[in-house]
Amino acid sequence: MSIEVEAAPPTATRTYRPAMGRGWWTRKSHYFWYMVREFTALPLALWLLWLLFEIQRAGRGASGYYPPSSTPFVIFSVICLLFALYHSFTFLSLAGVILHFKVLDKPVASRLIVLSQFGGWLVASIVIGAVLIGFGR
Amino acid sequence: MFAQGGVLAALLIPVHILVQGVLGPLGIVTVVDRHYDTWISILGNPIVKLYLLVLISLPFFHFAHRLRYLLVDLGIPAAKGLPVQVVFYGGAVLVTLVAVWVLLTTAPLSLG
Repeated sequence: MSIEVEAAPPTATRTYRPAMGRGWWTRKSHYFWYMVREFTALPLALWLLWLLFEIQRAGRGASGYYPPSSTPFVIFSVICLLFALYHSFTFLSLAGVILHFKVLDKPVASRLIVLSQFGGWLVASIVIGAVLIGFGR
Repeated sequence: MFAQGGVLAALLIPVHILVQGVLGPLGIVTVVDRHYDTWISILGNPIVKLYLLVLISLPFFHFAHRLRYLLVDLGIPAAKGLPVQVVFYGGAVLVTLVAVWVLLTTAPLSLG
């Protein structure tokens, strides 16, 4: 007695595609803040474009130049500032994960690396702020 | 350029927004861009021109990358395609070229 086993025809390999709705980032606050972090690029880009426009306007001469002082502009800047601070905080905090240094063959603690990044931010802010304010009248 | 742009944006942009966008317009401090004379004078300095080019240009490569992946994360498959890449990274290149043109044509070079 013999048993004949029919070989199954080869099936094509299928790629598993996890179904994820477009609103996945609203399910957890952690996901939401991740998306906010990515979104910070938009207001910062808009503010830099305004700065470029401001530089270009200076080329029109003294009669065509007037610095912006309107309330909508200040509100726009405050909103951009909040996003900018969030970008700075999240980006510089990641330095401890990304950067690895050794001093005398001993790894530098990630907390120290993050602290140095925030220290650099403070120094840069003071220097740039001093130039922007110091050259004003 | 993604990382460099991100670092520059993190270190430099907040103070510019705070001083030029909030404190200056509210009249709390005197700022260099509040008067034409001081603004055009500092814009003529080659070091300032180079600084402003780096400040404006590099973060845009970071922004282009982040915004493209924001679209990917929002479930827009076209954001992975070449046309969208050309739009976003090409946009960063375009902003760089415009910044070079603006900085070279706005104020004459001056070391004073």
